[in-house]
Amino acid sequence: MEYFKTGLKSVLGAPLQGSSPPTGAETVERLVDRVKHSTLLEDRRDACRALKSLSKQYRVEVGAQGMDALCQVLEMDRADGEIVSYALDSLCNVMSAEVFEEEEHPDVYQSSRTSLGEQFTEIFMKQTDYIGLVLGFLEEYDFQVRWPALKLLTSLIHNRPRDLQEIILVCPMGVSKLMDLLGDSREVIRNDALILLTHLTKGNANIQKIVAFENAFDRLFDVMADEGYADGGIVVEDCLAIVHNLLKHNTSNQNFFKEGSYIQRISPMFALPSDSEDISWSSQKVINILSSLQVIRMLVMPGNPAQVTSSCQRTIRSSGILEALCGILMASGVPVDVLTETINTVAEIIRGNLANQEYFLTVMAPSKPPRPAIVVLLLSMVNEKQPLELRCSVLYSFQCYLYKNEVGQAQLVQTLLPSSAEVGTGTTGELLVAGLLSGHMLSTWLSAVALSHALVENPAQKEQLLRVALATGPGAPPVTLLQQCCTILQQSSNVQSKVGILMLLAMWLSHCPLAVRDLLNTPSCIPYLSAQVGANEHQEHEELLQGLCAFLMGICIIFNDDSVPSYTRDSLCQLVSKRVGQDVFLDKLGEVSKHELYSKAHKHPQLQAASAEHVLLDHEFCKLFKALEGMVVKAVSPKDAGLHNGGTELTLTATESSLLLQYKELIRSQDNQIQEMRRQLHQYESERQNSQMHIEELSATVSQLRDQTRLLSAAANTGVTSALSSDVEKLAISPQTNMARCSELEVELDKLRKDQEDLLVLLADQDTKLNKYKDRLRQLGEKIQSDDEADQTNPEEP
Amino acid sequence: MSYAYLFKYIIIGDTGVGKSCLLLQFTDKRFQPVHDLTIGVEFGARMITIDGKQIKLQIWDTAGQEAFRSITRSYYRGAAGALLVYDITRRETFNHLTTWLEDARQHSNSNMVIMLIGNKSDLETRREVKKEEGEAFAHEHGLIFMETSAKTAANVEEAFINTAKEIYEKIQEGVFDINNEANGIKIGPQHSPTNASLPSSGQGAGQGGGCC
Repeated sequence: MEYFKTGLKSVLGAPLQGSSPPTGAETVERLVDRVKHSTLLEDRRDACRALKSLSKQYRVEVGAQGMDALCQVLEMDRADGEIVSYALDSLCNVMSAEVFEEEEHPDVYQSSRTSLGEQFTEIFMKQTDYIGLVLGFLEEYDFQVRWPALKLLTSLIHNRPRDLQEIILVCPMGVSKLMDLLGDSREVIRNDALILLTHLTKGNANIQKIVAFENAFDRLFDVMADEGYADGGIVVEDCLAIVHNLLKHNTSNQNFFKEGSYIQRISPMFALPSDSEDISWSSQKVINILSSLQVIRMLVMPGNPAQVTSSCQRTIRSSGILEALCGILMASGVPVDVLTETINTVAEIIRGNLANQEYFLTVMAPSKPPRPAIVVLLLSMVNEKQPLELRCSVLYSFQCYLYKNEVGQAQLVQTLLPSSAEVGTGTTGELLVAGLLSGHMLSTWLSAVALSHALVENPAQKEQLLRVALATGPGAPPVTLLQQCCTILQQSSNVQSKVGILMLLAMWLSHCPLAVRDLLNTPSCIPYLSAQVGANEHQEHEELLQGLCAFLMGICIIFNDDSVPSYTRDSLCQLVSKRVGQDVFLDKLGEVSKHELYSKAHKHPQLQAASAEHVLLDHEFCKLFKALEGMVVKAVSPKDAGLHNGGTELTLTATESSLLLQYKELIRSQDNQIQEMRRQLHQYESERQNSQMHIEELSATVSQLRDQTRLLSAAANTGVTSALSSDVEKLAISPQTNMARCSELEVELDKLRKDQEDLLVLLADQDTKLNKYKDRLRQLGEKIQSDDEADQTNPEEP
Repeated sequence: MSYAYLFKYIIIGDTGVGKSCLLLQFTDKRFQPVHDLTIGVEFGARMITIDGKQIKLQIWDTAGQEAFRSITRSYYRGAAGALLVYDITRRETFNHLTTWLEDARQHSNSNMVIMLIGNKSDLETRREVKKEEGEAFAHEHGLIFMETSAKTAANVEEAFINTAKEIYEKIQEGVFDINNEANGIKIGPQHSPTNASLPSSGQGAGQGGGCC
């Protein structure tokens, strides 16, 4: 402190003699003034240094008065690393989330809702440009600048994560600048960058994708490898936290993780030395392994798209991780939380993947003689001394083993059937039945639920399980498993056991009329159920129990084939309406889905129980309940009386069932018709295709022919016209010759005409001469014929 | 599984030009006529062979809407190739190419190979942008050009592979600094000696069946 005081003195000048020393606020005010207005860089730098030294003690004052000045420094003096460093440090202190010991007025804001750091952060972030400036300083290699800039951003994201995420997202290359810090050789910077990235990648899919795009997985795995994987310190934990964030609900990144072969890169995390006794399980190592398991689960958890899950499951198997995890399962000395989480992870890796499920079945425990791992796990499940989480996780793995695994379901039931001679070898089925009958409430519940998973969507096994008989004691006749369940149900005083048994029965009887018949034939079972539904007790969970009884009765109604005369579908409905009352029945039924654990169990396949009392409802059962609740309600609800005048419920259902039969017949015939029509349609379709092809062929030929004709006609046209034109030419020539001849002829004609005229003249001369001679002859008395007579007799003569 | 090189691509362009469909056609060989808007960025990967070498393509499909533009900018720096897509039936998507190109040039490394793609070539009747215009634009800005149809798969393979060829050639010419991962290029693990121990660890057979 003494150093600062002398330092201050040199900056501010010695306090005036006699006057009281300046208060913190006054000092800060003078310093801020200098930072703002001094013309010399050295002065501003000194003032900034002083502000920094006061920024913890007089945090309120520096924040309130100096924020603008410090930001101005970041903007105007960015070339000078030293002053920038002081300004960033000061801002860092002002906006820190923690409360400093030396702070002057820690009580000022302790009463207020938001902390001082948060309030200053809000003010600072109103100017998004400042964030850009700070991000820019990350590019400075100078430790004195880069580190405080990084620390400032960490404070900001701590106080206002959402806002900073949005700002960094739109800052040009904002995320890239942060990612580059991972390559910094100075560990402090790299490690702080990891912490900042952990906050930054939380819950923002866009940032997650950019960070992944910037080779985050490569860089993080490089860091983890450097640190020694699971044996590395908290840095490995930070890296895994980022990987976890990047994959959480982010399908794009999950795909990238798988495609980039990063699943293979996580496998060294699970490599245990062959002699597992020697492993030291430090708390950090436990955390690192747990985090790695969480990363694996992110890739295969039930909520993911099926395509991603199944391809990741394959890769996890092929990369040897499943094998390594099964090794951890069977190793000794593994801490229980690691064991539990490993079981959960293995469960999700095999869930719904037949190849992995088959592999899981072959895993053997290194005991003498070797036993299947699955048996060893179930032993822990029905062992009351094991911790709850472990027992629940075994149930989860078993449930995942049976999920969509008809072969596994059949094998389990097979171990219980009389034909399998070996008794007492401790098969899976026997363990479960033993647990069911153990009388320990949690064991009964877990075993009942595990058994019910062998029946999910598998009608064949429901019928097979009816054949299971139990020897009750020497000399006593064997009872069936179903009867035994009814006995436990009626004799047990424990809610948890009863709930377990009821869920098993509901799963068993649903869609299985044979099982319903067996239950109806079990003495006192239906009276017990109806009494439960009608009971008026309101103890804890008692309502759930009554609701489940109502549901089981409903199943007995829906899937009743009327083969037990005393409990036909109709008589059960009557029982409900007369003995219990429909309203009461429906109320009780509704209790199930209203239960606080129902929605939780329905949402996620894994049982999540805070304590043993919370182990009540199973995921698959809740799915069944949701699917059938409506049918149960419809089956027991009063039918519309208007349709059938005065009909009782009995006749109503009778007519209804006949109607139903009619409709079924109708549907069947219609179905046949549809099939027939489909077939015809198919036929027509193919015919149509054939004709289409035919048409196409024809049209092709047509167009071909058309082309040909076009071609031919074109050729023909050219031939004809040439002939014609020669003709025309010829014709054009002939008139000319004609004309010439014409004129020739005309000339000739003229000549002839002239000749004729001359001759005519000559003739006229001759004529007059003749007439003269005639007159002379007459005078001479000669008788002469007239001309006319002569003309008539001799016409030829002119 | 092993590859000689890994190239990172991004697909950019206006919203609705068919970026996601191109990616889906390339990686899954299928066409999805109804697709929701891409929110943020989606991812796909495929192996191709160039010059006898296995090359892994990792492709990031971006959102075209203006609101996501600043997010898209974050992807330029780390990409070795970009497919800049427009829709031949919508002139405005062609008009916006200049903006996209400016953005890309400003934020990417200068060697990034850009392939200009006129998509929806199957919709010839609704064409608004002539092929020659696309060619001219590409020529003017030094891009490779192709018309594709994500629907019929025409030229889709070629578009991705030709881009990879161009990058590959640039590597051969020594233009790219392949040791800088910020360029969007990675050398495959088979080039490092440690890989030899991988298949011998007893999962070789499983690995062969598991991939792809």
